[in-house]
Amino acid sequence: METLAELLSIDAVSSFVSDGSWVWPFCEFLHFVGMALLLGAIGFLDVRLLGFAKGVPIASLSKLIPLGVAGFALNAATGFVFVAGNPVGGPADYLGNLSFQLKMLLILLAGINLLVFHWAGISRTAEAVPAGGDAPRAAKIVAAASLVLWVGVIVFGRLIMYNDTLLYALGL
Amino acid sequence: MLELITAIEDSGFATWVRESPSIFAYTAILSLHAIGLAIVAGLSGVVALRLLGFAPAIPLAPATKLFPLMYAGFWINAASGLALLAANPSGMLANSMFFVKLGFVAAAVSIMRVIRGRVLGDPELVRTGNAPSLAKGLAAASLFCWLGAIGAGRLTAYPYLLQGLFSS
Repeated sequence: METLAELLSIDAVSSFVSDGSWVWPFCEFLHFVGMALLLGAIGFLDVRLLGFAKGVPIASLSKLIPLGVAGFALNAATGFVFVAGNPVGGPADYLGNLSFQLKMLLILLAGINLLVFHWAGISRTAEAVPAGGDAPRAAKIVAAASLVLWVGVIVFGRLIMYNDTLLYALGL
Repeated sequence: MLELITAIEDSGFATWVRESPSIFAYTAILSLHAIGLAIVAGLSGVVALRLLGFAPAIPLAPATKLFPLMYAGFWINAASGLALLAANPSGMLANSMFFVKLGFVAAAVSIMRVIRGRVLGDPELVRTGNAPSLAKGLAAASLFCWLGAIGAGRLTAYPYLLQGLFSS
């Protein structure tokens, strides 16, 4: 963990953040935009798989996945600025933060969930479902997991700054 | 007016939101506000991008079924936003960015209603799937207003940034 914190202590990033007081809030703005883009795109696909707006063919929504990935890329980049450029406590403050750790874990699980959707052939059978049709059960499970995981990512993301509240709730 | 604000700020509910160490107080409400934002702005944004020509295979008529979800996101944020306002009314009501944000939200929701009623209800559009330039203008305005709402909302937390901007 300490080596990772040292690795992430990049002077260029931290001076970029502390030199311009606008950098941090602007990255926060982009982080919220990326979040909305990710949830809007992936969430639309998820709720369709779960049976909402069945008139929309599932195959037509596959174009939304790159949009969700773009939102994720924006958030990975701005998130990197927060961790590497953290003016108070540096990267170690984030890496040791339980809410941050749980957020990263849920992102990893959401990524694995998406890979399962693609590589286990679930997306192929789901995309063969015509407009008005019901998605296969496996696709519904993946969709429900995706929604729960991404909402969890938002919650633990919000909790990073209020980590004490989480520790208090857990009795730690 | 000032008495009312003080009464709200000193109420049991506002004190609980602001000061309770419980995870279900301030942090849960703040989380709900982010989730509602992702739902309403995210889905509105996707519909707007579709009208602008992105993912043209998505049929517009059945996509109107998303609107109840968007409104659910909106109401989550109206409720959580009111709770956050109750916790700090004197601070928020003195914050000009808060009113700019409300203006952007009102405009974005109004545009959403027009898109739902006029644009997506247009049989010609539903048949061809191709949005006329007016619809594209509304979609672009919708994206702009949601970005404005998110940006102004973020800036409510940095009042000194704007003071610096206007005083220099």
